[in-house]
Amino acid sequence: MTDAQDPRLDGSQALDQVGEHYAGEATQRVSKSQGRIVWEQFKKHKAAVVGGVVLIFMYLTAVFAGFLAPYGINEYRRAPVAAFRPPTQVHFIDPDTGRLTRPFVYDVREERDERTRQRIYVEDTSVKYPIKFFVRRPSQPYKILGIWQSDLRLFGVDEPARVFLWGTNNLGKDVFSRVLYGGQVSLTIGILAVWVALFLGLLMGGLAGFYGGFVDDLIMRLVEVIAAIPGLFLLIVLASLLRDPRNPIAEAIGLRMTSAETFLLTVIVLGFVGWGGLARIIRGLILSARELDYAAAAKALGASETRILWRHLIPSTASYVIVDLTLSIPGFILAETGLSFLGLGPSEVDTSSWGLLLRDATARGVSIQFVPWLLIPGIPIFLAVLCWNLVGDGLRDAFDPKKRR
Amino acid sequence: MFIFIVRRLVQMVPTFIGATMLAFLISQLVPGDFLNRKALEPNVRPETIERMRSQFGLDKPVHVQYVRWMTNLVKGNLGQSFVSNQPVMQRIGRPMRNSMYLAVVSLVLLYVVSIPMGIYSAVRQYSLGDQVVSVFAYFGLAIPNFFFAQVLILCLFLIRGFTRDTFGWNEMLFPVAGMTSSNFDRMNAWQQFKDIAWHLVLPAFVVATSGMAGFTRVLRAQMIEYLGSDFIRTARAKGVAQRGVTYKHALRPAIIPFVAGIGGLLPSLVGGAGLVEVVMSYPGITPAFLDALNSQDIYVVLGLLVITTLLLMIGNLISDLLLAAVDPRIRYG
Repeated sequence: MTDAQDPRLDGSQALDQVGEHYAGEATQRVSKSQGRIVWEQFKKHKAAVVGGVVLIFMYLTAVFAGFLAPYGINEYRRAPVAAFRPPTQVHFIDPDTGRLTRPFVYDVREERDERTRQRIYVEDTSVKYPIKFFVRRPSQPYKILGIWQSDLRLFGVDEPARVFLWGTNNLGKDVFSRVLYGGQVSLTIGILAVWVALFLGLLMGGLAGFYGGFVDDLIMRLVEVIAAIPGLFLLIVLASLLRDPRNPIAEAIGLRMTSAETFLLTVIVLGFVGWGGLARIIRGLILSARELDYAAAAKALGASETRILWRHLIPSTASYVIVDLTLSIPGFILAETGLSFLGLGPSEVDTSSWGLLLRDATARGVSIQFVPWLLIPGIPIFLAVLCWNLVGDGLRDAFDPKKRR
Repeated sequence: MFIFIVRRLVQMVPTFIGATMLAFLISQLVPGDFLNRKALEPNVRPETIERMRSQFGLDKPVHVQYVRWMTNLVKGNLGQSFVSNQPVMQRIGRPMRNSMYLAVVSLVLLYVVSIPMGIYSAVRQYSLGDQVVSVFAYFGLAIPNFFFAQVLILCLFLIRGFTRDTFGWNEMLFPVAGMTSSNFDRMNAWQQFKDIAWHLVLPAFVVATSGMAGFTRVLRAQMIEYLGSDFIRTARAKGVAQRGVTYKHALRPAIIPFVAGIGGLLPSLVGGAGLVEVVMSYPGITPAFLDALNSQDIYVVLGLLVITTLLLMIGNLISDLLLAAVDPRIRYG
């Protein structure tokens, strides 16, 4: 890439005017901003772009989970329970005419297999229930982003038939709907935990770097101590003890461990276990303020410490921090699903999370060979973690001047 | 060298003490005191509870409790389990041994598979094989261990279903749960060894897969970097054969972090096996830890935390030593 380009291509109105002002002189040179270079490099990284697109898609499905899911987050019927229903078969061919028709499902009734004593479901082919689109279900309202309330669902069938695209769990809850709702928890927790880690890292690293001496020693020892305890066990013990509403801290603040509180708790625990590395980076960054030549030059020109920090040091490591943060999101997602899998994440009441859904497959008396659809929630975990890794790798290469293409 | 080790050991002490303090502080989060649950059992007399309370110093302030516990720890006594009345050491010994089996086997598997894969994909960069390895690496990186274990279990069930229907062979290919068969006690030593090894195949494979992903990627990147460096060009100019270039000149420096990684991997594999042990009901550390937490058997929890922390720190020390021993550029500073 050369930097001698028509400024018009950069698209900015202001630059256009500047260009016209100097028009007729020498060829106008406008160098690209760092952000633009990174974006152009990133776009060349095919895998990263695909990862980014898939991620955007996944986050959109999480936002519009209520609309896309045919059932409510905790919706189930007591009689009959419809536990462990296999995925509902959607028919496209009308058995009477043998022609293609609008998709429909049958209601099913529960029976016992004579030989294996397993519960089986048999289609009752007497009545066809066509799949309807844009149905209203006033009994199960939902909110988008916690603001817009609605009861419009993308698809559904008339009672008593029900459509379970990915089967049901032990309580007869629709796995497809719960995977969609679960994305809201599993996809956001990673990002929120990164913010907590970033906040703690900035605060502690900043304190250590600015004050030095005793404060520095204390904070850096704390980082070492946290790193010395195996991460998984630290996570488990913190999550498990803190989520008990009778623990001293919860009693002092008056927490009752509602699902929102356990969600926040999980975020904080994840962030607490993960801030150490960032604090080290921030501290090193501040300490290097006195070492770097250009920082010394800025100082000689009369720049204040704050200016050096904000104008010179933070931009110089921002790229590193951004990449580091992006690549730590998948780790947090995996940690959250792991905790939820153990039942130590967000509480099961009114929440769904991909880890919690996989936990259903390990419930007492469940043999995975008869309910393989309960493993479906693992696929979005895999996808999300994979795509965040791809995006992180793409960003790292894009920021790295040595890897410019 | 000796001074280096001693200095590192001395540096470890404050960190270790800090870790025990943090662990003890966390243990104070248990509601009430540790004996609450014990007191609810119908066959436990109140006097017993009182006796235990004073025995463990639970009626004293926190710092006194900590000092008492720490003094015992230094003497090698981790306290008594509230649940089984065994010393903690005895109670956690077996799970730790079991986890170690799993860790060692998966570690060997990890190295045996990922080193050749890394070399291959570095030497044949952008070939089909390299791309397969890359895909595999991303796969291992992104799939949660416990989910992978569940999927493999399902696959084995499906395979059994298939062989039963076609050949009438109603056996699992590999055992999917536990560490021993039900008739383990009646086996002789060799059969017992085989039985455990057989049960280890699946969990070790799952644990190794996630490690392999990272390893292969790092080795590949390292190898590619060295293969493009000046000394390799010099070696080629001298007329060193391709084999020599790959294995003597490029592999040696590239493999250094792996040699050093052995120390760091043992404890991390013990922790990393975590959820796989839960899914496969393997009687290792993580299930023991969860059990202890569930029954609020706090000295067992603390014991496991302390021991695994110690393992982690020793592992890090070993990797530093190995690194210094293998890499001539590093001096014992």
